[in-house]
Amino acid sequence: MKALVAILGLDSHWRGSVMVARVLRDGGLAVVYLGNQFPEQLVAQALQEDPDLIAVSSLSGSHRTLVPELMRLLVARGVDAPVLVGGAIPPQDIPVLRQAGVAEVFPPGRPLGDLTAFVRGLEAGERGRVASQ
Amino acid sequence: MEAPLKAEFARWRAKHFAPDDDRTTAAGIPVKPLYGPEDVAELDYGRDLGLPGEPPFTRGPYPTMYRRRAWTLRPLAGYGTPEDTNERLRYLLAKGATGLNITFDYPSLRGYDSDAPEARADAGLGGVAIDYLDDVARLFAGIPLDQVSVSLVTCNPGMAAITMPMYVAAARAAGVPPDRLAGTCQNDFLMECAVTTAPQPLAPAASFRLSCDTVEYCLRHLPRWNPISFVGYNLEEAGATAVQELGLVLAHARAVMRELQRRGLEPDQAAPRLSFFFSASNDLFEQVAKYRAARRIWHRMMREEFGAQDSRSWVLRFHVQTSGVALTAQQPEVNVVRSAYHALAAVLGGAQSLHVSAFDEALGLPTEETITLALRTQQVLLHETNVTATIDPLGGSYYVERLTGEMEARALDFLGAVEAEGGIVVATERGWVHAELARSAYEHQLGVKDGRLKVVGVNCFVEPDRPRPVFAQPVAAPRQGERLQRWRQVRDGDAVERALDRLEVVLSSGDNTFSAVLEAVEAGATLGEVHRRFREILGVWAMPLFGR
Repeated sequence: MKALVAILGLDSHWRGSVMVARVLRDGGLAVVYLGNQFPEQLVAQALQEDPDLIAVSSLSGSHRTLVPELMRLLVARGVDAPVLVGGAIPPQDIPVLRQAGVAEVFPPGRPLGDLTAFVRGLEAGERGRVASQ
Repeated sequence: MEAPLKAEFARWRAKHFAPDDDRTTAAGIPVKPLYGPEDVAELDYGRDLGLPGEPPFTRGPYPTMYRRRAWTLRPLAGYGTPEDTNERLRYLLAKGATGLNITFDYPSLRGYDSDAPEARADAGLGGVAIDYLDDVARLFAGIPLDQVSVSLVTCNPGMAAITMPMYVAAARAAGVPPDRLAGTCQNDFLMECAVTTAPQPLAPAASFRLSCDTVEYCLRHLPRWNPISFVGYNLEEAGATAVQELGLVLAHARAVMRELQRRGLEPDQAAPRLSFFFSASNDLFEQVAKYRAARRIWHRMMREEFGAQDSRSWVLRFHVQTSGVALTAQQPEVNVVRSAYHALAAVLGGAQSLHVSAFDEALGLPTEETITLALRTQQVLLHETNVTATIDPLGGSYYVERLTGEMEARALDFLGAVEAEGGIVVATERGWVHAELARSAYEHQLGVKDGRLKVVGVNCFVEPDRPRPVFAQPVAAPRQGERLQRWRQVRDGDAVERALDRLEVVLSSGDNTFSAVLEAVEAGATLGEVHRRFREILGVWAMPLFGR
């Protein structure tokens, strides 16, 4: 399995995204760490890399504008990898992001174990899909 | 130490604790259950401690400290448009703040105008949006710049190299000459190249050069200004331990001193105006030891390594911000308590200036109510606890003195490691600094995950979440972008182009850029237009954050 990890827009915090990248790599995923990306660039990278998972981080507040933009572009270009959003996401924004198609939101303090569990779920789904083919 | 006393300590320890029952500080320094005279047997009072305001300054940078003058109560503020932030600044001064501390939005920090496509999601977020000279004038409208000490949290040299000329020009237009300006700008290439990210960051050598350009100009023209603040705070926020924080800022300060010497400035011209910015985090005594050790190392470095003669060159002065990363989104009210302990550490360590983080920091920007509570936290510490009655009250504590010595020794080792990497600029280019920060951050994260590090409300004493009000940042981009577009239409476009062309020549030549940027912003150039020249001429790089 392969994951893309990126920071959205002009947000300047890398700690969360690098921690997530390490957790994913330690969990056996191939991780492509992209640093700061605007939606357009990130979708281009996704088309090239064909990831199983896209994890984006924002602590600036930019998720309100850029995540819906990203989700629209992914759908338009036919990228169906699940998208995780992590960072300083206020509780009232979580339903909005889910509505936009985000698979899972990781606000501050959500345990890393939840991320690992999400990835295990994806892997199980992947195995099931392969087995049924 | 008398042999019988040593034996007594050994007997007591063996009776009550297993031989391996040591703990460690947050930075991993071993901590015994009890300290005594034996632990400070090598301490020489005159050599290692001295008096406040006297070498080696371990006990304080000034002789009278808080007996004569309180630390500066300097809360952070910045969001939305210059008018939005101006209102918050006046509010804070009215509530008893004694200094200002201004944050800038993400596009400004990275050199994008509010109407740039890149800024569409971030304009006015996390700080105030600044695009051109008039924004700085409106930001400080009604605030006497020759009386209030102002800290500009410009973070990156790429931004400081534009904002400082704007500040100088705006002050001059308001009738305040450069030599009357008092305050500090953050101007730290590690912020630009290691601590924070951006789509197109300036490369370390370029950022370092711009930083020294600003320092050099200010040393020659703004005698009351601190033109650089070596940022330890954000290193700690990115994952650094206290040892790494101290080692990195001192390695950086050493590199700047060397570069200024190369440019023909005497150490005694430069050193007295360099300032520092540290974190105050959870391990209270370790934080105090960090501040005390910082002063001791700096004194020796300036005196022995750089040959500084003026006693003002030997004194390390610092601002403190209480840790944001130690605060939690869960049960956020508990953060009030955390920040108060952090603030206490700063004051016990002799800070010159302090910002206490608001308790909703992990949720978003502070509201008027929460930032006032943070200011009140400082006021309680200052006026009610009596901790200011005597100077360096922890001086002489067996534990704190021992820990100060340990901190000094480890920071010096770290400085040696940076030298071995080729100095701080090369160590950054190679990704060594990033790897150091990421390693500590990851270890910390694992500690929280497996419960070795207790965080109340996160991995123990957990309660269900309940909704809390969050500060709604005003949407700045349209207002700010429209004003900027009007400005682009009315200004003298040819004059702007000519000034930017001259700037390009200076950038290519390697000469000091400050005057050329000053001319450009006075001609009406925007922050984004100047910064684009920086990126084009000086080059950008990809930060080595995570290998494939």
